[in-house]
Amino acid sequence: MNAITFTGVSKSYGAVRAVEALDLEIAAGQAVALLGPNGAGKSTSINMLLGLIRPTAGTVGVFGQAPDAAVRAGWIGAMPQDGALVPGLTVREVVEFVRSLYPEPMPLDEVLSLANLTSLAKRRADQLSGGQAQRVRFAIAVAGAPRLLVLDEPTAAMDVESRRSFWASMRAYAAGGRTILFATHYLEEADENADRVVVISRGQVVADGTAQEIKSAAGGRTVRFTIGDRPTAGLDTLPGVTGMEVRGGSVRLRTTDPDATVQALYTSGVEVRDLEVKGADLEEAFLSLTGDN
Amino acid sequence: MLRYLALEIRRMYRDRRFVFFTIALPVGFYLLWSNIFAKGDVDADTGLDAKTYLLVSMAAFGALGASLTTTGARLAAERQSGWLRQLRVTPLRPWAVIIAKVVASMCLALPAIVLVGVVAAVTQHVHLTVGEWAGMIGAMWLGTLPFAALGTLIGSLVGPDAAQPLTMACYLLLAILGGMWMSVSLLPKTLRHVAHWTPSNRFADLGWSIVAGHTPPASDVLVLAGWSVVLGTLATVAYRRATVRS
Repeated sequence: MNAITFTGVSKSYGAVRAVEALDLEIAAGQAVALLGPNGAGKSTSINMLLGLIRPTAGTVGVFGQAPDAAVRAGWIGAMPQDGALVPGLTVREVVEFVRSLYPEPMPLDEVLSLANLTSLAKRRADQLSGGQAQRVRFAIAVAGAPRLLVLDEPTAAMDVESRRSFWASMRAYAAGGRTILFATHYLEEADENADRVVVISRGQVVADGTAQEIKSAAGGRTVRFTIGDRPTAGLDTLPGVTGMEVRGGSVRLRTTDPDATVQALYTSGVEVRDLEVKGADLEEAFLSLTGDN
Repeated sequence: MLRYLALEIRRMYRDRRFVFFTIALPVGFYLLWSNIFAKGDVDADTGLDAKTYLLVSMAAFGALGASLTTTGARLAAERQSGWLRQLRVTPLRPWAVIIAKVVASMCLALPAIVLVGVVAAVTQHVHLTVGEWAGMIGAMWLGTLPFAALGTLIGSLVGPDAAQPLTMACYLLLAILGGMWMSVSLLPKTLRHVAHWTPSNRFADLGWSIVAGHTPPASDVLVLAGWSVVLGTLATVAYRRATVRS
């Protein structure tokens, strides 16, 4: 069964269409990134999935049920974008309370260690730093051991180190066969943490596939090397190459398949130096896909 | 829901200064008024002497304050901070949140009522039968229901900035119309009519009747119950609207 289905879902605010005829199916057990620029409709889609916003048209299903019913059944754990903690409670008390709301919660110690909170359990939740508070919110989202975990730009207020440990926690949770949907506008996050990336722009899906597929669909990567004054003829017909640029003694090949291109380059006998496969040129890929360039 | 209720009560009582002022205010006013008014004064409507009349007035005032201030502004702030949205995506039902808020605020109204009673008995030597004490405290505690519902309605309708002054306005207006500061008979005629239908007036009347040794009129109970149902329903609807956008 699909964990998530959006069938012809639209949401308008007056004349503004935030989400337009969105169709999306996410199988149980997948970790999916919802990638898009600000205002693309990510949060609106997620809030409809959580039952916090009603769609103008179409239906949203969570494990075959309406979002409200899925929330009530304890199948969903979520970290909405704006969610402060309440004053007056310790980390342990908040997590313990949220656990008590779900039918089959995760053991308390497990939640605390997963979210890296064991040493902060006795601290007041309103006296934590931004990154620590985000960890508590993550703990709240997973405390009920939900089948579907939904995170809306979870790392927005985090520094690099918190971000890294946060995604490690998220992947540990995903490893239990749970379904995860997270919204982000950080391309590396989608690349590193999702099995599948759904790119949305102006309320519609513009690309859908693995991070690798998204990148190649958008024109792939760049192979760069120095060739000196040797001839460059034939380089633009190497496997995968979609374009070539020669400047001074340096060649820049755009390719959809850098592995094949590099291998062919070496076997062709052309003498090259300083070879460099320019890593994920995701920013470009992203911009070309969403047309916001 | 019981766990949410326990959590709310725990959070409320951890705010010590808030608890202190909520309870100290009516007790302080009772001491002030009961010493200003001559001990022999008798209220014409109820036949109660000043110290006993004021016991009910100030207990009512304290309960009114406790139930309004623990709900409105707090709920508004929690709504704005996103905490209630977070709760909304757990299996906890929205109506359970409202009920817990209402009951928790009533749990702060109870000590306000009891303490005014203790101070009245100890310092002013107010004598009531055990049944009258129990009846007065019990009835007045249950009678705070419409005010707690009003507070949650305010908290669901407006933001934290507006909730604070709006709560205070309702607090003072209800206290005055309820006859907690001065007898309603001193008000202009139109206001007296309005006062007759306010929950605060019926609330105080409930207490005055009991300490005067009468059974409270059924109309008091009906008016209070009516307000509770109307305000409670509105609060639940407003809360749902505030957390789910259509």
